[in-house]
Amino acid sequence: MSPPFWKQATTVTRRDLLRERRSGEVLWVTLPFGAVALLLIPIAISTDTVTLRRVGVGMFWVVVMLFGVLIAVRRTTSDSIAQRDMVALTGMDPAAVFAGTALANFLLLLLFETVLGVLTVVLYDIDLSGAEWFPLILILVAVGLSLLGTIAAGIVATGRSTAALVPLIVAPMSVPLLIAATQSFEGLRLGKSILTWILMLAVIALVLAVAGVLSARPLQETG
Amino acid sequence: MTNAKPQSSPVWPWYAMGIAGIVTLVVSFVAPPDAIQGELSRILYVHVPAAWLAYVSFGITMLASALYLWKKDLKWDRMAAASAEIGVLFTGMTLVIGMIWAKSTWGVWWTWDARLTLTAIMFFVYLGYLALRRSTDDLEARAKRAAILGVLAIVQIPLVHFSVVLWRGLHQTPSLLKPASVDMDTPMVVTLFIAVGMFSVMYVAMMSKLVELGKLEEQVILADRSSTAPVAGSAVTAPSLGGDA
Repeated sequence: MSPPFWKQATTVTRRDLLRERRSGEVLWVTLPFGAVALLLIPIAISTDTVTLRRVGVGMFWVVVMLFGVLIAVRRTTSDSIAQRDMVALTGMDPAAVFAGTALANFLLLLLFETVLGVLTVVLYDIDLSGAEWFPLILILVAVGLSLLGTIAAGIVATGRSTAALVPLIVAPMSVPLLIAATQSFEGLRLGKSILTWILMLAVIALVLAVAGVLSARPLQETG
Repeated sequence: MTNAKPQSSPVWPWYAMGIAGIVTLVVSFVAPPDAIQGELSRILYVHVPAAWLAYVSFGITMLASALYLWKKDLKWDRMAAASAEIGVLFTGMTLVIGMIWAKSTWGVWWTWDARLTLTAIMFFVYLGYLALRRSTDDLEARAKRAAILGVLAIVQIPLVHFSVVLWRGLHQTPSLLKPASVDMDTPMVVTLFIAVGMFSVMYVAMMSKLVELGKLEEQVILADRSSTAPVAGSAVTAPSLGGDA
């Protein structure tokens, strides 16, 4: 008898996080890379505080979307076909493997967003009105992006030019997330209700979760 | 040796595409000019049908992808791929023609209007779909992976179509595809519908050719796979016994 779904999923999450602890890919490579991007933008646009305050939130989300893809793609480029076959042979539920991987990606993305978020507030002098909503928005975006990235990584796994293909698929498809995230912050700045955008983020996450679970088995069958 | 001739490819799609192209151009020039935009309005008889047929193409990609996932028949995969290629072509056409119109009307080639931006993003989503198809020669794996993306990518279409309603921008709101009354004069509506009909003929003709091409491509991949596939036992090498080598 195989272990329960969530036991399998958390085993995969622990494996991915342990691998991250050993390699430090997100913490020591992607995160500093994102921070450098946030430093480069003002040099290219303007170092004027008013301008930076105006564009800061948008720049933060663009960096999160583009660099966040690298967090989802890291497993695809490192997993060999033999490793994938081994996981399949253990009899684990493909949906649990998907959920576990997405959960690990979510935790890493949330860490990525949080550190870069603090950096953006400091560097771009961001208006903190409605700050009590920030954690919820960050969590929902991290959920959506991790699910999207995990699905895309599963779709392109074992193909040619995998590392380049995942960003090409995820970046344009993350536009609804980007719109909802930026509009939420804009709504908070203007003191308007952001419930519609929060709902949009939640619906996107739900749809992606269903799509990911349903596509997990067919994707595993293709190797 | 047999006298059987190789099956020839049907020529009707070429004629259909040619005739449909000519008819579209003729009706576009016969239609009366717009009261405000003048002769420039004729560009819309190509821009709007191209945009609509792009939606239709991606819709059919989604349907064929879902049918592939259900039936596991490669004919649906060929149809999804062919329709996506045509959709990308029509989306590219919509963007380029729209830019020409924008330069004359708004004074700029590009503006960050929601409809324009999201259409460009839709173009890249389906370019990603086509790139994904080129990433493997395993027909079943390619079909399954592309089918999942083909179903997911459809979310772009309502976003693009309703972007003019959701965000106020420079692009005009729908003139025909809306619940309220139509905002166009009858001769213009008739011309537009003829053009849409002709674009549909072009779509069917191109689908016929591309599906046929897809079938040939699969045969090439299968032939290549059978000629390079290792023979059973080829991984086993004879042990070296040493001594009299």
